[in-house]
Amino acid sequence: MAIIEVKNFHKSYGTKSVHEGVSLYVKKGECLGLVGGSGTGKSVLLRSLIGLEKADSGEIFIEDINVTHFSERQWQEIRKKVAYAFQGGALFDSMTVFQNLAYPLIEHSKFSPQEIQQKVSAQLKDFGLEGSEKLYPNELSGGMQKRVGLARAMMLEPDIILYDEPTAGLDPYNTRNIQDLIQKLKKKGVTSILVTHDMPTAFAVCDKFAFLKDKVIKEQGTAEQLKDQNDSLIHQFIQGNIL
Amino acid sequence: MTDSHNHSFKDWAVEQLEFYGGVTLLTRDCLREGFRKPHYWGLLTEQIYQIGVKSFPLVLVTSATIGAVMSLQFGYGLEKFGGKPYVPRLVASTIFREIGPMFTSLMLAARVGAGMASEIGSMVVTQQIDAIRALGTSPIKKIVLPRIIACLIILPLLVAMANVIGNTGGWLIGVNELGLDPQFYYRRALDTANIRDYLAGFGKTFFFSLFISIPSCYFGLTVKNGTQEVGMATRKAVVTSSLMILIGDFFLGKVFWMLEKWL
Repeated sequence: MAIIEVKNFHKSYGTKSVHEGVSLYVKKGECLGLVGGSGTGKSVLLRSLIGLEKADSGEIFIEDINVTHFSERQWQEIRKKVAYAFQGGALFDSMTVFQNLAYPLIEHSKFSPQEIQQKVSAQLKDFGLEGSEKLYPNELSGGMQKRVGLARAMMLEPDIILYDEPTAGLDPYNTRNIQDLIQKLKKKGVTSILVTHDMPTAFAVCDKFAFLKDKVIKEQGTAEQLKDQNDSLIHQFIQGNIL
Repeated sequence: MTDSHNHSFKDWAVEQLEFYGGVTLLTRDCLREGFRKPHYWGLLTEQIYQIGVKSFPLVLVTSATIGAVMSLQFGYGLEKFGGKPYVPRLVASTIFREIGPMFTSLMLAARVGAGMASEIGSMVVTQQIDAIRALGTSPIKKIVLPRIIACLIILPLLVAMANVIGNTGGWLIGVNELGLDPQFYYRRALDTANIRDYLAGFGKTFFFSLFISIPSCYFGLTVKNGTQEVGMATRKAVVTSSLMILIGDFFLGKVFWMLEKWL
């Protein structure tokens, strides 16, 4: 069963068309790598899956529910089980790391302050961020901000996670950590879409790929299936020659 | 008219329509969200502190100076006609009806409106507004409503204080510069400036609160492309709020006069 399904998705900004009939699906527990050149609208598509952008036409289904024309209020319910990991972390700069991580729990759970404290501490440990509770985002390195953003997105243990370039700008050690985290979540049955230019990470964690080109999904399938295609650009992507 | 003139007029017209449409939609969203739980009282308290307490020194200096200047100008101006005794009445009613509400609101538009637009605009640029939405919460409830409600609570209070401080400034100059008797000034101001004068000015402040907070939040939320637009949004917020206060003051003044006659 497809947990995420996009049918004939169109999106444009003014006269600039970004998507002209994008269709894709992701099954439960799968990790889909959404790849393509810069400026092909990967992030726009990802943002549309959580209602941060509205489709001009087409349909988006999350767990078989047509969410295309959902109001902001209805999206709020969906967003409790679909997390979005922003490229730069998008941390609240007036809050400490602890407050950033506690935010989703305070808003959507009935945990006591002690339980929230425990959960945040455990999450910080999982992400190798111990000792940073009292720091503000501007006191963190870029890589740490990204990890705090990821940790915050996962606080509510969502069913679906949308990763927007989670390893961009990270050193090999932290890249490996993020890969391990995505793998760990996959084992728990979390469905995910990974937008990335980092092909080693994509190959390490993704079950299949959707290749975005010329405003549509050119190909969707496993790495092996994509290798069988004749498109040289897809081959170069698969071989990691174009990043 | 040249093509460029046509083009710039078209851009201006589109921008105006977008503004009025956007502000209407924002107001609608605020009304919808305002009655739904959860309510963020902590955020409201913080905004009351930021907008109210921190604006008080500015209001204090402005209103005291304006009261003093008015007293001085009226006193010297009316001296040759023997009109000095009318200074308390003139100063008090002008401050209550016009100067108190308008100057306090303009000060707040400059200080708070600019702050709101730049803060919200920066949050848009750094994707913090998107993060609020992505985490299943509402930027209207978390960011916009606390600012609007804080303005609605704080501006009338600041105006009430500005009225007292402005009249005190007028009294100080009336007594020390114009040589008026302190008791006479005090009684004359209280006797002649009635509750209607006060309410006519006070009533405007609720409208001025909305004229400051809604456009400022709107311009902040509509920032799209980077920090340059944050500056533009800040400028637009201050100019628009100030113009709405100045133009609105005329029409609201007229409405309150009509109401007084009718009542």
